[in-house]
Amino acid sequence: MKEKVLIVPCSGIGKCYGTVARQAAYLVTQDLCPEETRLVPLALLVLGEDETCAAMSGAKGITIDGCKLACAAKVVAESGGVVAHGLQVLDVFRRHRDLKPSGIAELDENGHKLAQVLAQEVKGLVDAMTQEMSHA
Amino acid sequence: MPELPKKKVGIIACSGEEIPEGTVTRLAALKVLESLRPRQTVTICLPLFLAGGEGDRAFARFYPTIAVDGCEKRCAARGTEMYSGKPAVSIVVGDSAPADSSALGSARQLSARGMQVVRDVAGQIARHVDRLLDLQWDRRSGFPLQPPEPQEELKPRQAACSCGSGIPVQTLQVAGREVTLVALPLIFTRFREAGKLPNDSTMTELMQTVRIYNPIPEEEETAYAQAIMQEYSAFHRRSQ
Repeated sequence: MKEKVLIVPCSGIGKCYGTVARQAAYLVTQDLCPEETRLVPLALLVLGEDETCAAMSGAKGITIDGCKLACAAKVVAESGGVVAHGLQVLDVFRRHRDLKPSGIAELDENGHKLAQVLAQEVKGLVDAMTQEMSHA
Repeated sequence: MPELPKKKVGIIACSGEEIPEGTVTRLAALKVLESLRPRQTVTICLPLFLAGGEGDRAFARFYPTIAVDGCEKRCAARGTEMYSGKPAVSIVVGDSAPADSSALGSARQLSARGMQVVRDVAGQIARHVDRLLDLQWDRRSGFPLQPPEPQEELKPRQAACSCGSGIPVQTLQVAGREVTLVALPLIFTRFREAGKLPNDSTMTELMQTVRIYNPIPEEEETAYAQAIMQEYSAFHRRSQ
């Protein structure tokens, strides 16, 4: 079976950047790279659910965090996964300051645009990792 | 004077990204935090119990907590209990949702039915908040009043997030073992600044305040009181 890149967004609920992370993860795993990626719910890793932890063990993942506390990256590492790329929504926002997002339950237009920009960055990383894995 | 955080109810949603029920937990929690009970509730991201510090892990020992889960794995309830404290209430969306998950829409976009379940679950959470805060008790008769239907604030507020705020904790020796009490440093400072001397009347008041934020076993009350009073006396001397 083809090895997939694991995409792990944070489940940030108190700030709109958490929602941007979540939306970007959906864009990558459902629209941009559905065959190459798999979405991993962070809550299952927190709980230490066997199946999810087994899938994570030694696997390469891309984490998308909404704040500097970097829960997704820390929990993936704690669960035995390898954080190939740990992205921060804030870093992407700093490069696109015109896209200041707002809204947590429902992102505004800027939030959706920022999620799209972020998703494209993740897609670039997924493509590179997939190529690397196919040559390994 | 440092203020103790007002007693609120903590809401922890699993936010499960893979299933529509996970999105229901997230949106229902946000509806309560932003519109239904914004002044009475606070939240924290579940993964922070693992990724954060001791102050973050004190969350469920400081606030009575409602865990909202999308499925029977109950990651929010079990994760909170494992790392922080046992939730006062555990809600599973599946109990109020149609058996066919797809009727809720997708995790990315809920259907109209899914949004109805969000409102139902948010209403459940709000009623538990009222009960946990004793908002609807008739103090004269001692009987609970009929809780009103959750009222929505006209202008939603932003959800109060506790991520990284860190609730101060202090560890004491009680009856020969270590016990961590949340908010104790803040309580001591408040009492000291109010000019309260370490004596018997202060001890009663101190215990009442500590008990708001920490469960104290009845059979160990005296041992707790002694340890807390000893620590407060030392704190008082140091700050003179």
